[in-house]
Amino acid sequence: MSEAVMQHGAIAPPTGGRLMRRLNLGTAVAGGLVGGYLFWLVAHHFLQTDEPNTSDQVVTLTLLGWAIGFLVGIGAFHGPWSWLMGHDQSHEDETFLAGKEQGIGRYFRFTTDHKVVGIQYLVITMFLLAVGGTLAMMIRTNLIRPDSGFLSPQTYNAVVGLHGLTMIIATIIMVTGPFGNFIVPIMIGARDMAFPRLNALSLWLLVAFVPVLFSAAFLGGIPTGWSGYAPLSDQAPPGMDAYLMAIIIFAVSSAIAGANITTTILSMRARGMTWNRTPIFVWGTMASVGLAIPAFPMFMASMVLLGVDRTVEGQFYVASGGGSPWLYANLFWLMGHPEVYVIVLPAVAAIMELTPVFARKPIFNYNAAVLAIVGIVGLSIMVWAHHMYASGWAPDLNGSFMLTTELISIPTGVLFLVLIGTIWRGRIWTTLPMMATYAVLWNFIIGGVTGIYLSDVPADYDLHGSLFVTAHFHYTLMGAGLTGAIGALAYWFPKMTGRTLNARAGFTSFWLVQIGFNVTFLGMFAAGLAGQPRRVVHYDSVFGAANLVSSVGAYVIGLGMLVLLYAVVSSWRHGATAPANPWGAKTLEWTVPNPIPLANFEVLPVVIADPYGYGEGDGPLFVPLPPSREDDEAETPDGGGRAGKHAVLAGPDAPRIVKEEES
Amino acid sequence: MSADLIRDEELPFGNPLGQRVRRWTRRREVRGVLMLWVVLTVLLVLFSFVPARIMGVPASPTKQAVEDTMTVFTLAASPVAALVWAVAIYSVIGWRQRGPGPPTEDGPAIRNHGLTTVLWVGLSSVLCLFLLIWGIAETQAVASSSTGPLVVNVTGQQWVWTFSYPRQGDIETDQLYLPVNQPVVFHVKSDDVVHSFWVVQMGIKVDANPGQVTQATVTPTRLGTFDVRCAELCGLLHADMETSVHVVSAQDFQSWLRSNGTGG
Repeated sequence: MSEAVMQHGAIAPPTGGRLMRRLNLGTAVAGGLVGGYLFWLVAHHFLQTDEPNTSDQVVTLTLLGWAIGFLVGIGAFHGPWSWLMGHDQSHEDETFLAGKEQGIGRYFRFTTDHKVVGIQYLVITMFLLAVGGTLAMMIRTNLIRPDSGFLSPQTYNAVVGLHGLTMIIATIIMVTGPFGNFIVPIMIGARDMAFPRLNALSLWLLVAFVPVLFSAAFLGGIPTGWSGYAPLSDQAPPGMDAYLMAIIIFAVSSAIAGANITTTILSMRARGMTWNRTPIFVWGTMASVGLAIPAFPMFMASMVLLGVDRTVEGQFYVASGGGSPWLYANLFWLMGHPEVYVIVLPAVAAIMELTPVFARKPIFNYNAAVLAIVGIVGLSIMVWAHHMYASGWAPDLNGSFMLTTELISIPTGVLFLVLIGTIWRGRIWTTLPMMATYAVLWNFIIGGVTGIYLSDVPADYDLHGSLFVTAHFHYTLMGAGLTGAIGALAYWFPKMTGRTLNARAGFTSFWLVQIGFNVTFLGMFAAGLAGQPRRVVHYDSVFGAANLVSSVGAYVIGLGMLVLLYAVVSSWRHGATAPANPWGAKTLEWTVPNPIPLANFEVLPVVIADPYGYGEGDGPLFVPLPPSREDDEAETPDGGGRAGKHAVLAGPDAPRIVKEEES
Repeated sequence: MSADLIRDEELPFGNPLGQRVRRWTRRREVRGVLMLWVVLTVLLVLFSFVPARIMGVPASPTKQAVEDTMTVFTLAASPVAALVWAVAIYSVIGWRQRGPGPPTEDGPAIRNHGLTTVLWVGLSSVLCLFLLIWGIAETQAVASSSTGPLVVNVTGQQWVWTFSYPRQGDIETDQLYLPVNQPVVFHVKSDDVVHSFWVVQMGIKVDANPGQVTQATVTPTRLGTFDVRCAELCGLLHADMETSVHVVSAQDFQSWLRSNGTGG
């Protein structure tokens, strides 16, 4: 053992922290298996076996046992437990939890450092995208010919459902997870998140969620598509129980993450970082996670009701029992439409953040950009029933939902104005992140305009449920969302890994993915317009050409994504060392050295200007905070937050801040 | 004095806005972007007629209205999309800084331009208002065409459609027969899960829900055989849940009724 570890052991307190130091992913999996097994034993033993719901009850309880056991095994309850036992965690415990001097091991523990959590989110996102992408390749292979028979109808439906749900979860976390956790705290000049332990909890809940989701594949699949419409979901096999448990776990995870990131942004911005000086990506992140806070509980509630339906004959969604499928549809879309903005807003905000850097110009009309984001958030909770025009639920309301939906085109248009205004007469540096801006400008226009067709009630009566809809939302969620996230990854890669992303592989991947993407989904638009429904395992031969084009395009995307994976992995391992600020950007995260110290800033900054002053001279944007003021918790006169919190991570020499909030 | 004797820059006063616009349009990047904008707009306008072509020959006024909507909305979106893409394309050609490193100098520090923002938001609001009025007018037109209609009950169940004609002696069939040019109202329900009743070439769709009856109205105007498909994932054989609708002349419809049951 190295000396550092010996020393570390020497300063460890005699009580409390021993067990905590031995927990990691291995003990978590063991705990999960034990928990699941125990719950399975109990459920199996005590529940009647001749009832039709028994398997649902057993599966639900077993998965619950897995999740609880996993969290116990990772040490998620260690903090509350020791608090209950009367000893709070010591300074050494806190620095251990923050992953101080633990090398690679800290990525496999309940580590609270936001930078570790950000990397963990990035890896999970890439994993989910890889699985979801593989499933997409299976779908497109099956659809390459009208009657290919590659997948049986049962397998096909399961693959479609799992692809949809995996990708929805992956795209929800793909920006606010990695970059919201890693970059945002540094961007706002904080030492960590507001609630570091909750941060780790949200991440490990997500890890616990992954096997629950994929267990559906072995329990009969999710035959309902990701939307899980009732009452089809009531008659589905136990894979549906895995679906609902997965969503419940994910909803808890996202609520915790949302509360944490929102609190961090609201209360921990550096002194002087007024709302007018807050980077636009921070606004986009807060809009996204803030919107998730009311949205996902709807999903969770709909799943709790479904669980009651499935396990104890609740009949919430069963018409013959007095329930209503429209109840499910409403709850689902009350989540489902805000959710698309949860995905798209931070991705577009990342694009708006990096475009000024590569156009070497201030962001165009910052205030309008902020207003547009806020406007979209406000409108997005009032449009849900445009997914239900053709459902027969309240047709008299269709007109008002058409109004709110079409109103969204105004703030969305402003986002385009901000981007092209920023590009206008810039000094364009066509790096990989900047190329993502161009791709978003192309894809998001197509996604937006096709969305306007679908907002029109009579047009939607025709196109709803067709592949046209599938192509439309892939243009927004993948063409704008995922492309924006890839731009964000290329932009922040040097800061997050300390290495330079392989530009040649990056560009190769960019062109493969973007060309493949447009081929795939333009083909799908054509098939949808011609009348091909969504989620069909085989189709009329009149759609043959469009589907062939679409499948070939999909393989090109797949190839491009493999190249991207290669670029990321190889650059991460062997890439050239990146300078601290390779792009010449002006936001705070580029002021910290590579590798980033545990406490981010040696001296906390005071912000004296916004980060978009390109072409306005090289005056300072930040001044160091006098050290004596670091523990001063008072609000600054100009609105900045409590930057001094978590100074505990700054090391033994820094003043200890473990003050409680005065109340 | 005659205007062509004095060039507009030399005018001491009078019409300053016109002057500014003229001077603005002489700038190189403005001309480049305008040219690209015109070219792209023309291309998109030509493309606007493609979606309706792909959707095929409409078999009802409803489908005709949908295809018109697709064309009109694409036309309306064309100049906007063209402008965004024109700036994007021109920026790569005209403003790109070559070389491996970062640009050596910054661009002009344009933080805002009030007129541009007002124009942009104003024009997009006008467009949005137009779309809304168009949609509402279209909805009204589609909904108002139902006097003395033929009633057809549609039942979805896993994974077949069944049709019955309650006023024609409750004839049941799994292939839909409709007389041409006669308004039809479908009363749609489901026996099990949610299905969606879609007559593709007529542009109508409504969900078949268990425990509820939903309605859709259409007037078939074209003779021929068209497709009924299920548009809501309804389980294992969702893809097979399709049948045909035969639009026939009034006489043929009567003789079909006679040959299939008691009514007439």
